[in-house]
Amino acid sequence: MSTVQVSHVSKAFGEVKAVQDVSFEVYPGEVFGLLGPNGAGKTTTIRMMLDIFRPDGGEISIFDGKLTEAKKNRIGYMPEERGLYKDLKLEPTLIFLATLKGIDEATARARLGPWLERFDLQDYRQQKIQNLSKGMQQKAQLIATLLHDPDLLVVDEPFSGLDPVNTRLVKDIIEELRQQGKTIIMSAHQMHQVEALCNRIVLINHGRTVLYGEVAQIKRDFAGNALTIEGQGDFTHLPGVLEARRHNGTWNLTLDAGVDSQDVLRAIMRQDSVKLERFEIAEPSLEDIFVTVVQGAGHEEAADA
Amino acid sequence: MRNLWLVAKHEYLKIVRQKSFLFGTLGIPVLIIVVMAVSILAAIGQRGNLPLGYVDHTGILSASVTPPAPDKGERPVAIRAFADEAAAQTALEANTIQAYYVVPADYVQSGRVQLFFRDKRPGEMVQEDFADFLRANLLADHPADVQRRLLEGSDVTFRSSDGSRELDSNNVVSFIVPFVAAFFFVFAVLNAGSYMLQAVTDEKENRTIEVLATSIRPEELIGGKAVGLMSVGLTQLGIWVLTGVLALLAAAPFVPEVRGVRVPWSFVGVAVLFFVPAYALIAGLMTAVGGMVTDLRQGQQITGILNLFFTLPFFFLAVIMEKPNSPLLIILTLFPTTAFVTITMRWAMTTVPLWQLAVSWVLSVTSAVVSVWLAARIFRLGMLRYGQNLNVKTIIASLRGNGVRAAR
Repeated sequence: MSTVQVSHVSKAFGEVKAVQDVSFEVYPGEVFGLLGPNGAGKTTTIRMMLDIFRPDGGEISIFDGKLTEAKKNRIGYMPEERGLYKDLKLEPTLIFLATLKGIDEATARARLGPWLERFDLQDYRQQKIQNLSKGMQQKAQLIATLLHDPDLLVVDEPFSGLDPVNTRLVKDIIEELRQQGKTIIMSAHQMHQVEALCNRIVLINHGRTVLYGEVAQIKRDFAGNALTIEGQGDFTHLPGVLEARRHNGTWNLTLDAGVDSQDVLRAIMRQDSVKLERFEIAEPSLEDIFVTVVQGAGHEEAADA
Repeated sequence: MRNLWLVAKHEYLKIVRQKSFLFGTLGIPVLIIVVMAVSILAAIGQRGNLPLGYVDHTGILSASVTPPAPDKGERPVAIRAFADEAAAQTALEANTIQAYYVVPADYVQSGRVQLFFRDKRPGEMVQEDFADFLRANLLADHPADVQRRLLEGSDVTFRSSDGSRELDSNNVVSFIVPFVAAFFFVFAVLNAGSYMLQAVTDEKENRTIEVLATSIRPEELIGGKAVGLMSVGLTQLGIWVLTGVLALLAAAPFVPEVRGVRVPWSFVGVAVLFFVPAYALIAGLMTAVGGMVTDLRQGQQITGILNLFFTLPFFFLAVIMEKPNSPLLIILTLFPTTAFVTITMRWAMTTVPLWQLAVSWVLSVTSAVVSVWLAARIFRLGMLRYGQNLNVKTIIASLRGNGVRAAR
């Protein structure tokens, strides 16, 4: 059963159609990437999921039904627009926000210690938030999102403002939560992070879904007629191979149109003179796909105009 | 409901821990204490240590006749008789008396006396002591209780025809307290309004609002803020009242007018009854303004006008003094924003009919509930409009629709 089900959701602000017919589902135990360029409609979609905005059309189901006040306590949300009370101290602020999510103060206090320690903020618990660095405030915001142990985590740009060490820490935490069976929806611009963490993604552009599915499948779908091979022997005269180039011990093979990579693999395996160590369909990175899709859409629109 | 109390507690502690609250709340009592202390010291100093002399040409005064002694507090100045002006003058120059009066033979007819002093004229309290001494001597032939009544005057109580309200003319507190309460209320309400506006716009500006919006309902957030703010107001009121009572108790031995003070409990009850909805009303209105604007500065411009609706009765002070039951004041009594100040100030001048109090209270509570409800909706509508103001058309359209449609 899906944790989040977004079905044909639309939202307009005056003349501007922010989201049009967007659909996706997110399941427990997966990290789901909500991607798109700036202004694509990601944040509006998230806000509709969390009942901050109400959709003009379509349906949203959270934990198998409408979002109730009780269900809100099972959600941890870190918005892109970060916000904590600047003139209050760190510890009471985090405890207050956690108690609003249904846990009692004693539990919040007990859970807070280990999180502060993990994020290296234990020495700042009585500091005013405005005195913390941007990175520290970002970590504090993450603690506020996690302290009530939510089942659904919605994090908008979780890595922005973090140094590599803390980025690694946040990635580890997301992975741990995934392993615990939590549902994580992540919106990020760092495609390599998305590629490393997300099982599935939806890519929204101009308010519409342009890509949706498993990351691996999407990459396969976008893979060109190219192979990356490593091994010993000569890979230049393989049937169906248009061009074979060697670079730093790796062969990059360009296939003829319509040639199946599996046929090439079989042809290699039949040759006794070569020893295959690596055979890989040359997939584009998620970033390449993102740019291709978003720019492609831009070009199409320009052509239509 | 749990979240409403959590927000209320959070807001309460946030405000009372601020230095500005401590200064604002404790500053006024400290000021009262300082003023009281200065007055007491001045009063003590007024009498001086030396006796007062007199020369009587009427033959009716006797130093042994003294006015009824006060129940407590400072004793009147000692009074010594002199046979003639020369003896009194010698004593004055020898610095054994601080001044002397000459009471001429025709005093009973003319009421004129003369006061002789050296460098410093005796204070008013010394002069009052001598006036009391004169009256006591003139009344010496009357029984002691008649003397006391004539010297102290009457204590008139005005009662409304239905007996529901009374006004005690001789109790100075029942006159002063309502006016003081009105001023304090306006001070407290303007403070609270300004704080509420800041709290709401702050949460929009620092983006905390988006996290809060996914945790609790806008009604709980706004209701909690209103309750927290009201608790702050009541705390402030409690501290001020307590300080006032302590100041009066401390002043009683030295200031005769304070001795007969009785706490006007009926007024205190009415003040508390109206204070709470008035606070909720201002909290609601300020939240609505905070929800509509994008930053504090814009909000302050609007609330400057809004505050006028709370302070309006002060512009009609002359009418309150002259015609406290005029139709205009009845309207201001019933109008929610002006109810508290109008009722408190009329309380000092007249007996406000029970029906006006009842109708006004119902209207105040209703408007307070509606304002908080409305504020929650406007707040939800405008909470994520960073950099964009809400216009009235959008608000009305949203309130007419089914549920609130928030906008970007």
